[in-house]
Amino acid sequence: MSTGSASTALVSHLTLLSLISFGGIPAALPDLRDYVIAHQWMTDQDFANCFAVVQAIPGPNMILLTSFIGWQVGGLPAAIAAGLATFVPSCALCFASFQVWDRFRDTGWQPIVRRGLAPVTIGLVVAGGFVVARAGDTGWASAALTVAAGALLLVTRVNPLWIIAAAGVIGGCGLL
Amino acid sequence: MTDVVRRAATHPPVVSLRDLFLAFLQVSLSALGGGMVWARQVLVEQRRWLDEQEFADILSLCQFMPGPNIASMTLCVGARLHGTSGALVSLAGFIVIPWTLGFALGALYLHYAHFGPLQDILRGISAAAAGMVMAVGFKLLTPHRRRPAALLFAALGFAGLAFVRLPLVVVVLVLAPLSIAAAYFERRPIR
Repeated sequence: MSTGSASTALVSHLTLLSLISFGGIPAALPDLRDYVIAHQWMTDQDFANCFAVVQAIPGPNMILLTSFIGWQVGGLPAAIAAGLATFVPSCALCFASFQVWDRFRDTGWQPIVRRGLAPVTIGLVVAGGFVVARAGDTGWASAALTVAAGALLLVTRVNPLWIIAAAGVIGGCGLL
Repeated sequence: MTDVVRRAATHPPVVSLRDLFLAFLQVSLSALGGGMVWARQVLVEQRRWLDEQEFADILSLCQFMPGPNIASMTLCVGARLHGTSGALVSLAGFIVIPWTLGFALGALYLHYAHFGPLQDILRGISAAAAGMVMAVGFKLLTPHRRRPAALLFAALGFAGLAFVRLPLVVVVLVLAPLSIAAAYFERRPIR
């Protein structure tokens, strides 16, 4: 596949994911990972690296993640196109929905839709984390770190920054 | 009519476009790991542009809309406070500068990604970040924990994607209508 058509394929796929990734981009991670690996643009390890890098820098992480995939596929133009394809379609949809949502806020159907979509969304988000954990899994130590980081965020009010910093140190010491 | 009454009651604050740009720049640059936490911190606690209820209302819409949730939320808050121009300026504040900085920094990281020690560090961060993504999912599940149908559909969504490896679009299109139907037939008090 030439660079141009590869970039086009990536951008079209990201546009689709942008419109169907209910629950946010993390819900689309398993699909995105399979797609990128199937096209041999990245290895499993590259994808896990990119995910780790965008978690370690502030800013719009998921948009940066898709930009790095674009960069791999077709340089800076593809990086920018991939970033835009990630948020422009969903933002346009959300903006239109917000106008309608705001107008019908007090009607009865809205909470029902919300209560119906939420659990599916949640299942997809958890699956996103699970697939990334499995991709980078190097044994019991890394699985334990995944569980510990999740548990810390769940039961304490510790700043996520500290969890990420501690995980970097644990990894850097060669414990995984 | 009720819309007009509600608007009048909530007194939307007067916010300049410049302040919107700077506020979302701040949210974006602080948002390491959990963006929603910082959006709430800046918009509700620090600047007091929204109260808890307004924030929760916008969040509940953006959380199940597709795409990057915080970008959608930025757009909706901007729209609420300053119309269409507010939406665009907020989104620009959230994305342009942080994306440029993040891309440069990330490219540098990735350039050295095959350097052993950095690889070890990234492996640690990746493992932790994956756990944190799952934790956010469990946090979102808390309000639904007493609804058997909700637990069932969350489990089905998880299994469909994580184990059966179905495409996302299939999982969403099959489960979402069924889950909404189940919510309709629950006949519980709303909210």
